[in-house]
Amino acid sequence: MSRTRLIFLAITAVISLLYVYMTWIFSPPDAILGENVRIFFQHVAPALVSYGLFGGTLLCGVMYLWKGDLKYDILGAVSIKLGLLFTTITLLSGMMWADAAWGTPWNWDPRETTTLILWVAYACILAYRASVSDRESRAQFGSIFGIVAFPMVILSYLSIRIWETLHPIVIEPSGLQMEVEHMMTLLVAMIAVTFIALIMVELTYKVDSAQEKLMRIKMERS
Amino acid sequence: MTSGFGAALAIAKKDIVTQFRKKFEAFSMFLFALIAVLAFSFAVVTGGVVPEEVGSALLWVIIFFTGMFGFAPIFLSESETGTLRGLATAPIPAWSVYLGKVIYGFFLMGLVEIFLVPIISVLFGFSILNDLPLAIATLLVGTLDLAAVGSMASALTMPSESKATVFPLVYFPTATSGLMLLIEITKIIVLGPGLIPVLLIFEILLAHLIAMLTLSASVFHFALSP
Repeated sequence: MSRTRLIFLAITAVISLLYVYMTWIFSPPDAILGENVRIFFQHVAPALVSYGLFGGTLLCGVMYLWKGDLKYDILGAVSIKLGLLFTTITLLSGMMWADAAWGTPWNWDPRETTTLILWVAYACILAYRASVSDRESRAQFGSIFGIVAFPMVILSYLSIRIWETLHPIVIEPSGLQMEVEHMMTLLVAMIAVTFIALIMVELTYKVDSAQEKLMRIKMERS
Repeated sequence: MTSGFGAALAIAKKDIVTQFRKKFEAFSMFLFALIAVLAFSFAVVTGGVVPEEVGSALLWVIIFFTGMFGFAPIFLSESETGTLRGLATAPIPAWSVYLGKVIYGFFLMGLVEIFLVPIISVLFGFSILNDLPLAIATLLVGTLDLAAVGSMASALTMPSESKATVFPLVYFPTATSGLMLLIEITKIIVLGPGLIPVLLIFEILLAHLIAMLTLSASVFHFALSP
Protein backbone atom coordinates (compact mmCIF):
# COMPACT_ATOMS: atom_id res chain seq x y z
CA MET A 1 0.00 0.00 0.00
CA SER A 2 1.41 3.37 -0.98
CA ARG A 3 2.28 6.03 1.60
CA THR A 4 -0.26 8.53 0.20
CA ARG A 5 -3.04 5.94 0.46
CA LEU A 6 -2.10 5.12 4.06
CA ILE A 7 -2.17 8.81 5.00
CA PHE A 8 -5.56 9.23 3.34
CA LEU A 9 -6.94 6.18 5.17
CA ALA A 10 -5.58 7.50 8.49
CA ILE A 11 -7.15 10.95 7.90
CA THR A 12 -10.48 9.30 6.99
CA ALA A 13 -10.35 7.16 10.16
CA VAL A 14 -9.67 10.22 12.35
CA ILE A 15 -12.43 12.30 10.71
CA SER A 16 -14.86 9.36 10.94
CA LEU A 17 -14.19 9.03 14.69
CA LEU A 18 -14.66 12.79 15.05
CA TYR A 19 -17.92 12.47 13.10
CA VAL A 20 -19.17 9.81 15.56
CA TYR A 21 -18.07 11.93 18.58
CA MET A 22 -19.66 15.14 17.26
CA THR A 23 -22.92 13.42 16.26
CA TRP A 24 -23.51 11.58 19.52
CA ILE A 25 -21.71 13.62 22.20
CA PHE A 26 -20.71 17.12 21.05
CA SER A 27 -23.92 18.10 19.24
CA PRO A 28 -26.61 19.43 21.66
CA PRO A 29 -30.27 18.31 21.39
CA ASP A 30 -32.37 20.54 19.13
CA ALA A 31 -34.97 22.91 20.62
CA ILE A 32 -37.77 21.32 18.55
CA LEU A 33 -36.45 17.93 17.38
CA GLY A 34 -34.71 17.03 20.65
CA GLU A 35 -32.37 14.01 20.45
CA ASN A 36 -33.81 13.09 17.03
CA VAL A 37 -31.63 15.80 15.49
CA ARG A 38 -28.76 13.25 15.55
CA ILE A 39 -30.44 11.33 12.71
CA PHE A 40 -30.18 14.55 10.65
CA PHE A 41 -26.39 14.16 10.23
CA GLN A 42 -26.73 10.53 9.05
CA HIS A 43 -29.40 11.73 6.62
CA VAL A 44 -28.12 14.95 5.01
CA ALA A 45 -24.48 13.94 4.50
CA PRO A 46 -25.26 10.70 2.54
CA ALA A 47 -27.92 12.60 0.56
CA LEU A 48 -25.47 15.27 -0.62
CA VAL A 49 -22.79 12.62 -1.31
CA SER A 50 -25.27 10.61 -3.41
CA TYR A 51 -26.01 13.76 -5.47
CA GLY A 52 -22.26 14.13 -5.93
CA LEU A 53 -21.92 10.50 -7.04
CA PHE A 54 -24.72 10.87 -9.59
CA GLY A 55 -22.97 14.04 -10.75
CA GLY A 56 -19.88 11.84 -11.11
CA THR A 57 -21.86 9.54 -13.41
CA LEU A 58 -22.72 12.54 -15.59
CA LEU A 59 -19.09 13.66 -15.64
CA CYS A 60 -17.78 10.15 -16.42
CA GLY A 61 -20.39 9.86 -19.22
CA VAL A 62 -19.15 13.08 -20.81
CA MET A 63 -15.51 11.99 -20.37
CA TYR A 64 -16.15 8.55 -21.92
CA LEU A 65 -17.93 10.06 -24.95
CA TRP A 66 -15.10 12.56 -25.32
CA LYS A 67 -12.05 10.34 -24.73
CA GLY A 68 -13.48 6.87 -25.46
CA ASP A 69 -11.52 5.39 -22.54
CA LEU A 70 -13.33 2.46 -20.89
CA LYS A 71 -12.07 3.43 -17.43
CA TYR A 72 -14.53 6.35 -17.41
CA ASP A 73 -17.39 3.97 -18.14
CA ILE A 74 -16.36 1.64 -15.29
CA LEU A 75 -16.04 4.66 -12.98
CA GLY A 76 -19.47 5.94 -14.09
CA ALA A 77 -21.06 2.57 -13.30
CA VAL A 78 -19.30 2.51 -9.91
CA SER A 79 -20.72 6.00 -9.18
CA ILE A 80 -24.23 4.70 -9.92
CA LYS A 81 -23.83 1.67 -7.63
CA LEU A 82 -22.47 3.72 -4.73
CA GLY A 83 -24.93 6.54 -5.43
CA LEU A 84 -27.70 3.97 -5.01
CA LEU A 85 -26.14 2.75 -1.75
CA PHE A 86 -25.98 6.28 -0.31
CA THR A 87 -29.50 7.06 -1.56
CA THR A 88 -30.69 3.92 0.25
CA ILE A 89 -29.01 5.16 3.47
CA THR A 90 -30.66 8.57 2.91
CA LEU A 91 -34.09 7.01 2.42
CA LEU A 92 -33.79 4.71 5.45
CA SER A 93 -32.43 7.40 7.79
CA GLY A 94 -35.07 9.79 6.41
CA MET A 95 -37.81 7.27 7.20
CA MET A 96 -36.49 6.91 10.76
CA TRP A 97 -36.47 10.68 11.15
CA ALA A 98 -39.92 11.07 9.58
CA ASP A 99 -41.32 8.46 11.94
CA ALA A 100 -39.90 10.34 14.93
CA ALA A 101 -40.76 13.86 13.74
CA TRP A 102 -43.97 13.47 11.73
CA GLY A 103 -45.45 10.25 13.12
CA THR A 104 -45.17 8.02 10.02
CA PRO A 105 -42.10 6.73 8.17
CA TRP A 106 -43.47 7.67 4.73
CA ASN A 107 -45.48 10.85 4.04
CA TRP A 108 -45.30 11.17 0.23
CA ASP A 109 -43.45 14.40 0.81
CA PRO A 110 -42.02 15.82 -2.48
CA ARG A 111 -38.42 15.33 -1.31
CA GLU A 112 -39.14 11.76 -0.18
CA THR A 113 -40.92 10.95 -3.44
CA THR A 114 -38.30 12.53 -5.72
CA THR A 115 -35.51 10.75 -3.81
CA LEU A 116 -37.26 7.40 -4.28
CA ILE A 117 -37.76 8.24 -7.98
CA LEU A 118 -34.05 9.05 -8.16
CA TRP A 119 -33.23 5.63 -6.67
CA VAL A 120 -35.53 3.90 -9.19
CA ALA A 121 -34.13 6.01 -12.07
CA TYR A 122 -30.50 5.10 -11.42
CA ALA A 123 -31.44 1.47 -10.71
CA CYS A 124 -33.07 1.55 -14.18
CA ILE A 125 -29.72 2.64 -15.66
CA LEU A 126 -28.02 -0.36 -14.04
CA ALA A 127 -30.76 -2.68 -15.35
CA TYR A 128 -30.43 -1.09 -18.80
CA ARG A 129 -26.66 -1.56 -18.80
CA ALA A 130 -27.15 -5.24 -17.93
CA SER A 131 -29.46 -5.65 -20.95
CA VAL A 132 -26.74 -4.56 -23.44
CA SER A 133 -24.25 -7.38 -24.02
CA ASP A 134 -21.90 -5.63 -26.44
CA ARG A 135 -19.27 -3.95 -24.21
CA GLU A 136 -18.66 -0.90 -26.41
CA SER A 137 -22.39 -0.27 -26.92
CA ARG A 138 -22.99 -0.64 -23.18
CA ALA A 139 -20.37 1.99 -22.46
CA GLN A 140 -21.53 4.34 -25.22
CA PHE A 141 -25.28 4.15 -24.62
CA GLY A 142 -24.89 3.82 -20.84
CA SER A 143 -22.91 7.08 -20.85
CA ILE A 144 -25.64 8.85 -22.83
CA PHE A 145 -28.27 7.52 -20.42
CA GLY A 146 -26.23 8.72 -17.43
CA ILE A 147 -26.14 12.21 -18.97
CA VAL A 148 -29.84 12.55 -19.89
CA ALA A 149 -31.00 11.15 -16.52
CA PHE A 150 -29.23 13.90 -14.56
CA PRO A 151 -32.09 16.52 -14.63
CA MET A 152 -33.89 14.22 -12.14
CA VAL A 153 -31.09 14.88 -9.61
CA ILE A 154 -31.58 18.64 -10.01
CA LEU A 155 -35.36 18.28 -9.61
CA SER A 156 -34.91 16.18 -6.48
CA TYR A 157 -32.65 18.86 -5.00
CA LEU A 158 -35.05 21.68 -5.97
CA SER A 159 -38.22 19.76 -4.95
CA ILE A 160 -38.47 21.41 -1.51
CA ARG A 161 -38.42 24.83 -3.18
CA ILE A 162 -41.00 23.93 -5.87
CA TRP A 163 -43.59 22.03 -3.83
CA GLU A 164 -45.13 22.48 -0.39
CA THR A 165 -43.08 20.21 1.81
CA LEU A 166 -42.52 18.98 5.34
CA HIS A 167 -38.76 19.23 4.79
CA PRO A 168 -37.18 22.39 6.24
CA ILE A 169 -35.07 24.50 3.83
CA VAL A 170 -31.71 24.37 5.61
CA ILE A 171 -29.38 25.65 2.87
CA GLU A 172 -30.26 29.29 2.11
CA PRO A 173 -28.25 31.80 0.03
CA SER A 174 -27.47 33.57 3.34
CA GLY A 175 -25.98 30.36 4.83
CA LEU A 176 -27.04 27.29 6.81
CA GLN A 177 -30.16 27.86 8.93
CA MET A 178 -29.12 25.95 12.08
CA GLU A 179 -27.22 26.20 15.35
CA VAL A 180 -23.43 26.63 15.16
CA GLU A 181 -22.74 23.23 16.81
CA HIS A 182 -25.06 21.49 14.38
CA MET A 183 -23.47 23.33 11.47
CA MET A 184 -20.00 22.20 12.58
CA THR A 185 -21.18 18.60 13.03
CA LEU A 186 -22.79 18.63 9.58
CA LEU A 187 -19.57 19.92 8.05
CA VAL A 188 -17.52 17.14 9.69
CA ALA A 189 -20.20 14.59 8.67
CA MET A 190 -19.97 15.82 5.09
CA ILE A 191 -16.17 15.51 5.01
CA ALA A 192 -16.21 12.05 6.67
CA VAL A 193 -18.92 10.60 4.41
CA THR A 194 -17.24 12.09 1.31
CA PHE A 195 -13.89 10.52 2.26
CA ILE A 196 -15.56 7.16 3.00
CA ALA A 197 -17.34 7.38 -0.38
CA LEU A 198 -14.05 8.14 -2.15
CA ILE A 199 -12.39 5.07 -0.58
CA MET A 200 -15.39 2.94 -1.61
CA VAL A 201 -15.25 4.36 -5.16
CA GLU A 202 -11.57 3.43 -5.44
CA LEU A 203 -12.08 -0.10 -4.06
CA THR A 204 -15.16 -0.82 -6.21
CA TYR A 205 -13.39 0.61 -9.25
CA LYS A 206 -10.45 -1.75 -8.70
CA VAL A 207 -12.75 -4.78 -8.31
CA ASP A 208 -14.80 -3.84 -11.40
CA SER A 209 -11.66 -3.17 -13.47
CA ALA A 210 -10.26 -6.57 -12.47
CA GLN A 211 -13.57 -8.21 -13.45
CA GLU A 212 -13.43 -6.36 -16.77
CA LYS A 213 -9.92 -7.65 -17.44
CA LEU A 214 -10.97 -11.17 -16.46
CA MET A 215 -13.90 -11.02 -18.88
CA ARG A 216 -11.61 -9.88 -21.70
CA ILE A 217 -9.14 -12.69 -21.02
CA LYS A 218 -12.00 -15.23 -20.98
CA MET A 219 -13.35 -13.85 -24.27
CA GLU A 220 -9.94 -13.90 -25.92
CA ARG A 221 -9.40 -17.52 -24.86
CA SER A 222 -12.82 -18.64 -26.06
CA MET B 1 -25.86 19.61 -48.17
CA THR B 2 -29.33 19.98 -46.70
CA SER B 3 -29.60 22.28 -43.71
CA GLY B 4 -30.10 20.65 -40.32
CA PHE B 5 -33.61 22.00 -39.77
CA GLY B 6 -34.66 21.21 -43.35
CA ALA B 7 -33.45 17.62 -42.87
CA ALA B 8 -35.28 17.37 -39.53
CA LEU B 9 -38.52 18.51 -41.16
CA ALA B 10 -38.02 16.05 -44.04
CA ILE B 11 -37.49 13.15 -41.59
CA ALA B 12 -40.56 14.20 -39.59
CA LYS B 13 -42.60 14.45 -42.81
CA LYS B 14 -41.45 10.98 -43.90
CA ASP B 15 -42.55 9.49 -40.56
CA ILE B 16 -45.89 11.35 -40.57
CA VAL B 17 -46.67 10.13 -44.11
CA THR B 18 -45.74 6.56 -43.11
CA GLN B 19 -47.93 6.95 -40.02
CA PHE B 20 -50.93 8.06 -42.11
CA ARG B 21 -50.45 5.01 -44.33
CA LYS B 22 -50.44 2.70 -41.32
CA LYS B 23 -53.15 4.56 -39.36
CA PHE B 24 -53.41 1.88 -36.66
CA GLU B 25 -50.62 3.25 -34.46
CA ALA B 26 -52.30 6.54 -33.49
CA PHE B 27 -55.68 4.83 -33.20
CA SER B 28 -54.20 2.09 -30.98
CA MET B 29 -52.65 4.76 -28.75
CA PHE B 30 -56.01 6.49 -28.47
CA LEU B 31 -57.74 3.21 -27.57
CA PHE B 32 -55.06 2.40 -25.01
CA ALA B 33 -55.62 5.82 -23.41
CA LEU B 34 -59.36 5.13 -23.14
CA ILE B 35 -58.66 1.72 -21.60
CA ALA B 36 -56.39 3.46 -19.07
CA VAL B 37 -59.18 5.98 -18.27
CA LEU B 38 -61.58 3.12 -17.58
CA ALA B 39 -59.03 1.16 -15.55
CA PHE B 40 -58.21 4.21 -13.41
CA SER B 41 -61.94 4.95 -12.96
CA PHE B 42 -62.31 1.75 -10.89
CA ALA B 43 -59.75 3.13 -8.43
CA VAL B 44 -60.63 6.83 -8.29
CA VAL B 45 -64.40 7.20 -8.81
CA THR B 46 -66.24 7.53 -5.51
CA GLY B 47 -69.95 8.37 -5.44
CA GLY B 48 -69.99 8.94 -9.20
CA VAL B 49 -67.37 11.70 -9.15
CA VAL B 50 -63.61 12.02 -9.39
CA PRO B 51 -61.88 14.70 -7.28
CA GLU B 52 -60.73 17.47 -9.65
CA GLU B 53 -57.10 17.31 -8.54
CA VAL B 54 -57.02 13.53 -9.09
CA GLY B 55 -58.64 13.74 -12.54
CA SER B 56 -56.30 16.47 -13.77
CA ALA B 57 -53.26 14.56 -12.49
CA LEU B 58 -54.44 11.38 -14.21
CA LEU B 59 -54.60 13.26 -17.53
CA TRP B 60 -50.79 13.45 -17.65
CA VAL B 61 -50.31 9.98 -16.18
CA ILE B 62 -52.42 8.57 -19.04
CA ILE B 63 -50.58 10.69 -21.63
CA PHE B 64 -47.27 9.48 -20.11
CA PHE B 65 -48.23 5.81 -20.49
CA THR B 66 -49.78 6.35 -23.92
CA GLY B 67 -46.45 7.89 -24.97
CA MET B 68 -44.79 4.52 -24.39
CA PHE B 69 -46.76 3.10 -27.33
CA GLY B 70 -45.98 6.02 -29.60
CA PHE B 71 -42.34 6.70 -28.77
CA ALA B 72 -40.98 3.16 -28.37
CA PRO B 73 -41.11 2.31 -32.11
CA ILE B 74 -39.63 5.66 -33.25
CA PHE B 75 -36.12 4.25 -33.79
CA LEU B 76 -37.03 0.62 -33.44
CA SER B 77 -38.90 0.66 -36.77
CA GLU B 78 -35.86 2.25 -38.49
CA SER B 79 -33.65 -0.41 -36.94
CA GLU B 80 -35.95 -3.27 -37.99
CA THR B 81 -36.37 -2.07 -41.58
CA GLY B 82 -32.65 -1.43 -41.92
CA THR B 83 -33.06 2.28 -42.71
CA LEU B 84 -31.18 3.42 -39.62
CA ARG B 85 -27.83 2.98 -41.38
CA GLY B 86 -29.12 5.26 -44.11
CA LEU B 87 -30.01 7.94 -41.57
CA ALA B 88 -26.64 7.53 -39.84
CA THR B 89 -24.65 7.88 -43.06
CA ALA B 90 -26.80 10.62 -44.66
CA PRO B 91 -24.91 13.92 -45.15
CA ILE B 92 -26.90 15.65 -42.40
CA PRO B 93 -26.00 16.47 -38.81
CA ALA B 94 -27.01 13.77 -36.29
CA TRP B 95 -29.03 16.24 -34.23
CA SER B 96 -31.34 16.81 -37.19
CA VAL B 97 -32.25 13.09 -37.15
CA TYR B 98 -33.08 13.43 -33.46
CA LEU B 99 -35.02 16.67 -34.01
CA GLY B 100 -36.98 15.09 -36.87
CA LYS B 101 -38.00 12.22 -34.61
CA VAL B 102 -38.98 14.66 -31.82
CA ILE B 103 -41.19 16.60 -34.25
CA TYR B 104 -42.80 13.33 -35.38
CA GLY B 105 -43.31 12.20 -31.76
CA PHE B 106 -44.84 15.59 -30.93
CA PHE B 107 -47.17 15.34 -33.92
CA LEU B 108 -48.24 11.79 -33.06
CA MET B 109 -48.94 12.56 -29.40
CA GLY B 110 -50.58 15.88 -30.33
CA LEU B 111 -52.91 14.05 -32.71
CA VAL B 112 -53.99 11.69 -29.94
CA GLU B 113 -54.29 14.50 -27.37
CA ILE B 114 -56.65 16.56 -29.56
CA PHE B 115 -59.27 13.86 -28.97
CA LEU B 116 -58.05 12.57 -25.63
CA VAL B 117 -57.85 15.76 -23.54
CA PRO B 118 -61.51 16.87 -24.03
CA ILE B 119 -62.74 13.30 -23.44
CA ILE B 120 -60.72 12.87 -20.23
CA SER B 121 -61.73 16.30 -18.91
CA VAL B 122 -65.43 15.46 -19.49
CA LEU B 123 -65.22 11.93 -18.05
CA PHE B 124 -63.15 12.95 -15.01
CA GLY B 125 -65.15 16.19 -14.56
CA PHE B 126 -62.47 18.90 -14.57
CA SER B 127 -61.91 21.95 -16.75
CA ILE B 128 -58.68 23.36 -18.11
CA LEU B 129 -60.56 26.38 -19.50
CA ASN B 130 -59.88 28.40 -16.30
CA ASP B 131 -56.60 29.53 -17.85
CA LEU B 132 -56.79 28.50 -21.51
CA PRO B 133 -53.55 30.17 -22.74
CA LEU B 134 -51.53 28.50 -19.97
CA ALA B 135 -53.33 25.18 -20.55
CA ILE B 136 -52.47 25.25 -24.28
CA ALA B 137 -48.88 26.30 -23.54
CA THR B 138 -48.57 23.47 -20.98
CA LEU B 139 -49.97 20.91 -23.41
CA LEU B 140 -47.57 22.09 -26.14
CA VAL B 141 -44.46 22.25 -23.96
CA GLY B 142 -45.40 19.07 -22.07
CA THR B 143 -45.99 17.05 -25.21
CA LEU B 144 -42.76 18.35 -26.73
CA ASP B 145 -40.91 17.45 -23.51
CA LEU B 146 -42.28 13.90 -23.54
CA ALA B 147 -41.48 13.59 -27.27
CA ALA B 148 -37.89 14.81 -26.65
CA VAL B 149 -37.42 12.25 -23.87
CA GLY B 150 -39.31 9.47 -25.67
CA SER B 151 -37.25 9.83 -28.87
CA MET B 152 -34.00 9.65 -26.92
CA ALA B 153 -35.30 6.67 -24.92
CA SER B 154 -36.21 4.92 -28.18
CA ALA B 155 -32.68 5.52 -29.53
CA LEU B 156 -31.16 4.15 -26.32
CA THR B 157 -33.10 0.88 -26.57
CA MET B 158 -31.49 0.01 -29.93
CA PRO B 159 -28.41 -1.88 -28.65
CA SER B 160 -30.40 -3.74 -25.99
CA GLU B 161 -31.31 -7.39 -26.44
CA SER B 162 -34.76 -7.04 -24.88
CA LYS B 163 -35.89 -3.78 -26.49
CA ALA B 164 -39.59 -3.92 -25.52
CA THR B 165 -38.78 -4.55 -21.84
CA VAL B 166 -36.04 -1.97 -21.70
CA PHE B 167 -37.95 0.98 -23.19
CA PRO B 168 -39.94 1.74 -19.99
CA LEU B 169 -36.69 1.47 -18.00
CA VAL B 170 -35.21 4.27 -20.10
CA TYR B 171 -38.40 6.31 -20.56
CA PHE B 172 -39.38 6.40 -16.87
CA PRO B 173 -36.19 7.92 -15.38
CA THR B 174 -35.90 10.58 -18.05
CA ALA B 175 -39.60 11.52 -18.35
CA THR B 176 -40.68 11.49 -14.70
CA SER B 177 -39.12 14.85 -13.81
CA GLY B 178 -41.15 16.58 -16.56
CA LEU B 179 -44.27 14.58 -15.69
CA MET B 180 -44.22 15.80 -12.07
CA LEU B 181 -44.04 19.42 -13.19
CA LEU B 182 -46.84 18.93 -15.75
CA ILE B 183 -49.14 17.40 -13.14
CA GLU B 184 -48.46 20.30 -10.75
CA ILE B 185 -49.17 22.97 -13.40
CA THR B 186 -52.39 21.27 -14.56
CA LYS B 187 -53.58 20.95 -10.95
CA ILE B 188 -53.07 24.70 -10.47
CA ILE B 189 -54.92 25.47 -13.74
CA VAL B 190 -57.87 23.32 -12.63
CA LEU B 191 -58.03 24.23 -8.93
CA GLY B 192 -56.90 27.86 -9.18
CA PRO B 193 -53.73 29.56 -7.88
CA GLY B 194 -52.12 28.03 -4.80
CA LEU B 195 -49.13 29.01 -2.69
CA ILE B 196 -46.61 28.18 -5.40
CA PRO B 197 -46.48 30.59 -8.38
CA VAL B 198 -47.51 28.60 -11.46
CA LEU B 199 -45.23 30.58 -13.74
CA LEU B 200 -42.21 29.50 -11.71
CA ILE B 201 -43.08 25.83 -12.29
CA PHE B 202 -43.77 26.54 -15.97
CA GLU B 203 -40.34 28.17 -16.27
CA ILE B 204 -38.75 25.07 -14.66
CA LEU B 205 -40.67 22.88 -17.15
CA LEU B 206 -39.40 25.03 -20.00
CA ALA B 207 -35.85 24.76 -18.63
CA HIS B 208 -36.32 20.97 -18.40
CA LEU B 209 -37.41 20.84 -22.05
CA ILE B 210 -34.45 22.95 -23.18
CA ALA B 211 -32.06 20.83 -21.07
CA MET B 212 -33.43 17.55 -22.47
CA LEU B 213 -33.36 18.80 -26.07
CA THR B 214 -29.86 20.25 -25.77
CA LEU B 215 -28.38 17.28 -23.87
CA SER B 216 -29.96 14.72 -26.19
CA ALA B 217 -29.15 16.59 -29.42
CA SER B 218 -25.53 17.16 -28.39
CA VAL B 219 -24.84 13.47 -27.62
CA PHE B 220 -27.08 11.99 -30.30
CA HIS B 221 -24.30 11.41 -32.84
CA PHE B 222 -22.85 8.88 -30.38
CA ALA B 223 -26.15 6.98 -30.46
CA LEU B 224 -26.09 6.85 -34.28
CA SER B 225 -22.47 5.79 -34.62
CA PRO B 226 -21.85 2.01 -34.53
